[in-house]
Amino acid sequence: MPCLIALIVFGIMGIFSASHRALAKEAFSCVFKRVTFRPCDTGFQEKVKGKILSSLINRSTFLARMVNKHYEILSWIFFILMFGSTVWVLYGGYNYYVYGSCNGLNASGFCAFDPSGENNKVTALGDGTTCGITQKSEKNVTLDGVVLSSFPIQKTTSKDTVVFIGCYACDYSRKAYPDILKLIKNKNANYIFAHYPAKGDTTFLAEAGYCVNKIYGDKFWDFNNYLFSADKNYVLDKLNLDKILGNFNFDVKTVNACANSSETKTAVENQIKELNKTNMYGTPTIFINSKAFVGPKPYRVYQSAINKYIFF
Amino acid sequence: MLNIDKIRADFNILGKKGEKTPIYLDSACMSLKPNSVVDAMNDYYFNYPACSGRSSHKLGDKVTKKVSETRKLVAEFINAESEKEIIFTRNTTEGINLLANSLGLVKGDIVLISDKEHNSNLIPWLRLRDKMGIIVKIIPSNEDGSFNLNNFSELISGVKLVSIVHTSNLDGVTNPIKEIVEIAHKNNALVFVDAAQSIPHQKINVIDLDVDFLAFSGHKMLGPTGTGVFYGKYKLLEKLEPFLVGGDTVSSSTYDSYEMFPPPEKFEAGLQNYAGIIGLGEAVKYLSQFDYKEIKEHELKLNTYITTELQKIPEIKIIGPKDAKDRAGIINFYIENTDMHKFAIMLDEMANIEIRSGRHCVHSYFENKKIYNSARISLYLYNTMTEAEAFITNLNKIIKIL
Repeated sequence: MPCLIALIVFGIMGIFSASHRALAKEAFSCVFKRVTFRPCDTGFQEKVKGKILSSLINRSTFLARMVNKHYEILSWIFFILMFGSTVWVLYGGYNYYVYGSCNGLNASGFCAFDPSGENNKVTALGDGTTCGITQKSEKNVTLDGVVLSSFPIQKTTSKDTVVFIGCYACDYSRKAYPDILKLIKNKNANYIFAHYPAKGDTTFLAEAGYCVNKIYGDKFWDFNNYLFSADKNYVLDKLNLDKILGNFNFDVKTVNACANSSETKTAVENQIKELNKTNMYGTPTIFINSKAFVGPKPYRVYQSAINKYIFF
Repeated sequence: MLNIDKIRADFNILGKKGEKTPIYLDSACMSLKPNSVVDAMNDYYFNYPACSGRSSHKLGDKVTKKVSETRKLVAEFINAESEKEIIFTRNTTEGINLLANSLGLVKGDIVLISDKEHNSNLIPWLRLRDKMGIIVKIIPSNEDGSFNLNNFSELISGVKLVSIVHTSNLDGVTNPIKEIVEIAHKNNALVFVDAAQSIPHQKINVIDLDVDFLAFSGHKMLGPTGTGVFYGKYKLLEKLEPFLVGGDTVSSSTYDSYEMFPPPEKFEAGLQNYAGIIGLGEAVKYLSQFDYKEIKEHELKLNTYITTELQKIPEIKIIGPKDAKDRAGIINFYIENTDMHKFAIMLDEMANIEIRSGRHCVHSYFENKKIYNSARISLYLYNTMTEAEAFITNLNKIIKIL
């Protein structure tokens, strides 16, 4: 057993160091003998044991005696721990690749590959001002019972559907948005966009967007892309809305009249109510085939959610 | 009395003060080298790295002269009748192989060896047994490892060659070569002596011992690695057929004939290890300044201390005689069901104490006695009592954790 541990440890260290490579070779020879039911007579086990004991003996005779006496058992324990931690690391790596977090989908615990938790940061709902990591279970975030028919939709023949719930004022939504556009384009997926005013006063943009979609149909998408890509402060300034609408050759008066109508305000309020049914706790929240991804994930995460076999 | 501090100053590895200075207790495997030996070899490589016995230029002449000087030094060192009886080899093993392959043994010839021979004095004979049908007989030692002359006398009849170790690397027992030779010669048997372990520690006088052949290595007697000497009585050497031939072994050749040189040249085929031979000469010079009696006394003092301390530890069993005076500078010990490699590694890691562990190339003995392996301490003139005490202190620490 100690040979096997040594093989793994020295094998990894051997990638970087020639002296450890030689030890890995010795360990391999020992393992090979053991798996072919021959005694490991290379002296390797004793070499490793001797080195461990000699470093312990000057610190504590008792500890050295215990290690010497229970060396095989300790080796097994270390092997199990090492095997467990290896599996755990591999699982973390898998999670990071597939979900953007070592700890699983939307889990915001510490991840060595994403130490600052960028992939899970959201603009929290509630006070409308908080940005950052909000650790909540994603289990209840769902599209079940949520009616999305009033939101802008791009229909295709694909069976894949992406729902993007974001806020024009939220940095994390703005970060995720280009990747979602890329995903939609590459995978030709159905696409539903929903604005949720998570931060600041962005309801006026939601109302304008609602009307642009209602009056101009597909032209809404160019307008929407602009709101996510243009300077945030400029877009969020109500005084600039008319100019923006004008730039898209929309009839400013008509759109404003629509946006200020009680019918639109009720419709937008109803949209928020519908979005609240998802139990979402921050923006962006992206549903890919009903699976929720909270926070701006790397593009590969979105892609692997649609891919049949993760990588392709 | 030996001035140990002065001796240690001659060895670069021991001259340095500090934690990194090794406590070297493995001289039976390989002795340390005095600076003069290393300097002599460097001098060859730096200043006259030419051929010996071939080239007539100044550099070649110098090498030829140095090699000849060494041959003469070695001959005087073992009291050979002539330097022509000295053949340079790579080591003792090559010397034994030279004899085994040159003596002209035929099917049915008997070779007698002891039960504690190093593989180098066992395998060549076993190979000839398998290849040519010679008979290899083993002389059983006494229970304590000492030589049993009665057993030897019973087996000597009809023997062609007695090939025997002088001092065993296994237990340090020195065999009574003079008596062995006397009995062997009375029975018309030739005697070869493996002096690898004896020559660093005791005066060898081949005329007094009356041995027919003898071999030893340079690396165990403060000389360089890859050097050795094969001695043979000249009249016997003349009869031996060299088993390696080629360059510098013949005085002339045609496309279908050749004329061999007389000994020793006919046994020294190809370009030799001149740097090593010159280094060996320096080692002989270095050793010659000491009285072997003093070296022996010094080693015995250390051996007695270590033996006494080891005998206080019930788990430890010493291979060979109990009394240190019967084991030269060697203390070989083991603990039942314990892999002694661990001891060697731990001593090295804990306190830079270098000892040998394993079966010491005497696998046959360990197989026969059902001993897994052992740890061997081998002392030499540069070891100190402080080192012996450090060994015992650290060994006791290890014993405590078993």
